[in-house]
Amino acid sequence: MLTSLYVEGQTWFHRAPVRAKLIALLALSIALFATNSPLLLLPAFLLCGGLYFSLGLTLRQAFARVGVVFFTILVLAVVNLFLIPVPDVLALVLRLMALVLFAAAVTATTTIGAFMDEVTVLLRPLERLGLVRAADVSLALGLVLRFVPDIFARYQAIREAHRARGVPIRPLTIIGPLIILTLKDADTIAAAIDARGFRRQ
Amino acid sequence: MDIRLTDCSVRFGDREALHPLTLALGERRIGIIGLNGSGKTTFARLINGLVKPTTGRVEVNGLDTVKDDRAVLAEAGFIFQNPQHQLIMPIVSDDIAFGLKNRGLPAKEISLRTEAVLARFGVSHLARRRVHELSGGETQLVAMASVVVTGPKILILDEPTNQLDLRNRRMVADTIEALDEDTIVITHDLGLVERVERLLLFHEGRLIADGSPGETIRYYHEVAGC
Amino acid sequence: MNTRDLVLIALFAAIVVVLGLIPPITLGFIPVPITAQSMGVMLAGCIIGARRAALSFLLFVLLVAIGLPVLSGGRGGLAILAGPSGGFIIGWAVAAYITGLIAERVIRPGISEGRQLIGFFLASVVGGILVLYAIGVPWLSFVTGTPLVAAAGGSLAFIPGDLVKAGIATLAARAVYAGYPLLPARA
Repeated sequence: MLTSLYVEGQTWFHRAPVRAKLIALLALSIALFATNSPLLLLPAFLLCGGLYFSLGLTLRQAFARVGVVFFTILVLAVVNLFLIPVPDVLALVLRLMALVLFAAAVTATTTIGAFMDEVTVLLRPLERLGLVRAADVSLALGLVLRFVPDIFARYQAIREAHRARGVPIRPLTIIGPLIILTLKDADTIAAAIDARGFRRQ
Repeated sequence: MDIRLTDCSVRFGDREALHPLTLALGERRIGIIGLNGSGKTTFARLINGLVKPTTGRVEVNGLDTVKDDRAVLAEAGFIFQNPQHQLIMPIVSDDIAFGLKNRGLPAKEISLRTEAVLARFGVSHLARRRVHELSGGETQLVAMASVVVTGPKILILDEPTNQLDLRNRRMVADTIEALDEDTIVITHDLGLVERVERLLLFHEGRLIADGSPGETIRYYHEVAGC
Repeated sequence: MNTRDLVLIALFAAIVVVLGLIPPITLGFIPVPITAQSMGVMLAGCIIGARRAALSFLLFVLLVAIGLPVLSGGRGGLAILAGPSGGFIIGWAVAAYITGLIAERVIRPGISEGRQLIGFFLASVVGGILVLYAIGVPWLSFVTGTPLVAAAGGSLAFIPGDLVKAGIATLAARAVYAGYPLLPARA
């Protein structure tokens, strides 16, 4: 449960520094929105697609990751056909798909640890202003990863209990108890964090 | 250990959780027993500053739990009744390392200490395991390791054998007995406190017996009416 | 921020992840299946209040951005944020904040159950639907080029489902408020 979308690999894109990839993504999104010419957008789309499909994902995995987004883009494109000129629709589809492919490529080649190091750097100015502590962000992230399996197990237990008592399984009767039981742990978890000195200045 | 309570009481709202108490604890192995709601957990939390006294004061190895609360937390480690709640990072070794990281230790030192403490509790093989996949006994040992690694001199254990099967109970009990740190064990498991140096019995927020395990356990049976 | 707030923020983000694992329900009279996760915004605002709910969703968006498949259907990663519905996901934090703000102002101990229900429903509809669409629809229109009016018209199809969600979130929030109140009260 909750394994990252990172894919093991040794391609040049895997080895490229995370910061460079994120800056490239930002630059690409600005550049793609600056042009409307299919002559520029088509090569961009092909390059991003080529990059994404060369990262070691199987075709199936690769499509599964971007499938829903592509489907939405295509549905909206069909709607657009009735509303705006056809070359514009083509430009929009190519641009958005190129961007999505590049973004998916960054995700597939960057580990959570590497992302978090960049997040820590990005938070530095906020930290200097005293608005947030990077250590708190990684602690919160750790807590989520730690407790998702427990909360899911609790969800299944509540569902079982419903079944055992012959009560129909409705989201409402499950969500209420699930939230109460989970949030009630907050005090003990917070006490444990303080007792272990995790947030020492 | 050197724990001193002076005229110390705890009130939650209008409920007196602990009646005024003056007490000095100097032994290495101390046990605390009592019925549910007798005040024993309040007493334990008082000692490491998780609960602050409403009146009076508590000193742990010369540190006041109100004035020096950070230092007291470092001096007296607490292992919670449900150790699941205490392990807060997804992977065992990350969890143990996290407490050290926040003390600004160098990475090399952190990994050495983490390995050492896992070896000390005989759970080196669990280092890369996910916390939520550990068994009850494993969770308890890892929870102890995660507290001991930061170097407290006193360990307070709240129901450490709760929900453990016979074999795990034995293993955890042996581990506690062999600890170098001074221990205070709060429990319903009388076998666990048979050999402590001093056993305290709480009842309705008062300390009603304080002595050798044999005597205190006899009182406990009287109070419980069975 | 105290440790308890930090833990509540993280636990709620974890609850939203788990809501994404619950199979979606289909109701006969509504064209789109209802995912429990999309109720998260309304639930968070109504249950833990504006500030914590917003931070909880910023944390959740961070999980998406760093490549964890936490969105319902196992989706995640930067590609989703770059796609047409990216605005809805980024808008969650603001929507949760507004939901919480309204709930904090309307709900206080001692008011009747009926007023609590109306308050939670109002907060869910304004924050979880109006505010969310006010961010998500223009974003979608911008990135896909679909004219704003058409995009807004199209999203009307989702409104009946959203109202059902607001209803469920209202009842759940009221149950949590009765059992374990966490919502800070505002004068």
